[in-house]
Amino acid sequence: MTETFEEMLEELRKIVRRLEDGDTNLEESIAIYERGALLVKQCEDLLGAAEMKLTELGRDR
Amino acid sequence: MMLSGPSTSPDRFGTLILGVSEVSRLICDLLDDTHLHQIWVRGEVTNYKNHASGHRYFSLSERSGRNTAVINCVMWRTSASGLRFTPRDGMDVLAWGSVEVYEPHGRYQLIVREMLPAGAGERHLMVERWKQELDAEGLFAPERKRPLPAFPHRIGVVTSPTGAALKDILSVISRRYPTEVILSPTTVQGEGAHTEIAEAIRRVDGLVDVIIVGRGGGSFEDLFPFNHPDVVRAVAGCATPVISAVGHEVDTALCDFAADLRTPTPSAAAERAVPERREVLRELCGYEERMGALLLHHLCAARSEVEDLRERMHPRRLVRRLHERMQHLADHEELLRRAALARVQRERFALAEARADLVGRNPLAVLDRGYCIVESEGKIARSAGDLGPGDHVVLRMKDGRCRAVVEEITYDRDL
Repeated sequence: MTETFEEMLEELRKIVRRLEDGDTNLEESIAIYERGALLVKQCEDLLGAAEMKLTELGRDR
Repeated sequence: MMLSGPSTSPDRFGTLILGVSEVSRLICDLLDDTHLHQIWVRGEVTNYKNHASGHRYFSLSERSGRNTAVINCVMWRTSASGLRFTPRDGMDVLAWGSVEVYEPHGRYQLIVREMLPAGAGERHLMVERWKQELDAEGLFAPERKRPLPAFPHRIGVVTSPTGAALKDILSVISRRYPTEVILSPTTVQGEGAHTEIAEAIRRVDGLVDVIIVGRGGGSFEDLFPFNHPDVVRAVAGCATPVISAVGHEVDTALCDFAADLRTPTPSAAAERAVPERREVLRELCGYEERMGALLLHHLCAARSEVEDLRERMHPRRLVRRLHERMQHLADHEELLRRAALARVQRERFALAEARADLVGRNPLAVLDRGYCIVESEGKIARSAGDLGPGDHVVLRMKDGRCRAVVEEITYDRDL
């Protein structure tokens, strides 16, 4: 994953704004929705992975 | 001049006699000198009394050889409440205040506003001097402050590996937003601590997204290394944003001013360093729901548009359209038929008229009135000259023809 969490969150915000924009056509809406759903999952995964990292650090200490 | 007491005028021998209050006033005026106001005085505390009222009375003395100089001092309870140590007789102190005259007792005294043990006092003054220097260098300028990263991957912590500060920071980070923490250990107090702290800062700079520099609460002495220009410059020189958390709540150190963000405690620093993960997750969840709702909305809109188009394309509608067109056509046909009839009628009238006209102009009509038409060799003879004697002519009468022969031609007049 080359993008940072911040970049992904920013892209996600843009996607929501574009979905809110009535000018976006249906095909595009579906495409960016899929992208958005993927971003949400990736962001959640990142946050979840961070939790595991801490557990390990705590044990080492 | 309104003064009580003896006369202030010269007596009969011409000697000037002053009232006590006048002399006291003169003394006051003399002592009202910038050299005696807001000054730092170093001396040994003697006759220290902590009065029941809270005011402190004592003397500052200085011995040089056999001579001893003494200044009476008073520290009012409002100032005394700020004392960070308990003064005792024999202590070497630095006192800050102004010399004033207390007229009822006829004595001058140093009104002390602030007092520090000499060693700490000197350090205190040193910090003030450093502060001015570093400020003049621009290290505290607000425009130097950088924003902190919203989602740091790695957090550098410069503090003691055994201190409470580290425990607090780790606890907050693991609770809020677990992420990688890199500790850059250092001693945080005592001789030479400032060099170690500065090195620890430089060591971790660039390896992390944000650095927390700090330690838990302590005395002015304990926090002193965080005032040192080495530490301040190391903080100011960081490529990575720095959060400063030195001491507890009210404590400040110069490195606070150089940091991008100053926080009151190490825990607060950790809270500012990372976002609250649950809030981020909630935000993500909100986006997901919102995207779903918006897509559904788009789909519904598209479907209803298709429905609408389908309805408009339905055969029923086409048949109706066709019928409309046929009716239209029939209407026009009828109009056309009527127009044609009217035209024929008009032509008929015109024909009748023309016929009547024609009948009126029929050349044969004259025959009815007794005229006849003379034809010779199939042509109508209009003039006597057309004929000659012996010519055979036909006379067309109203009801028949007569064959005749011209006997003679006479002209009505000479031609």
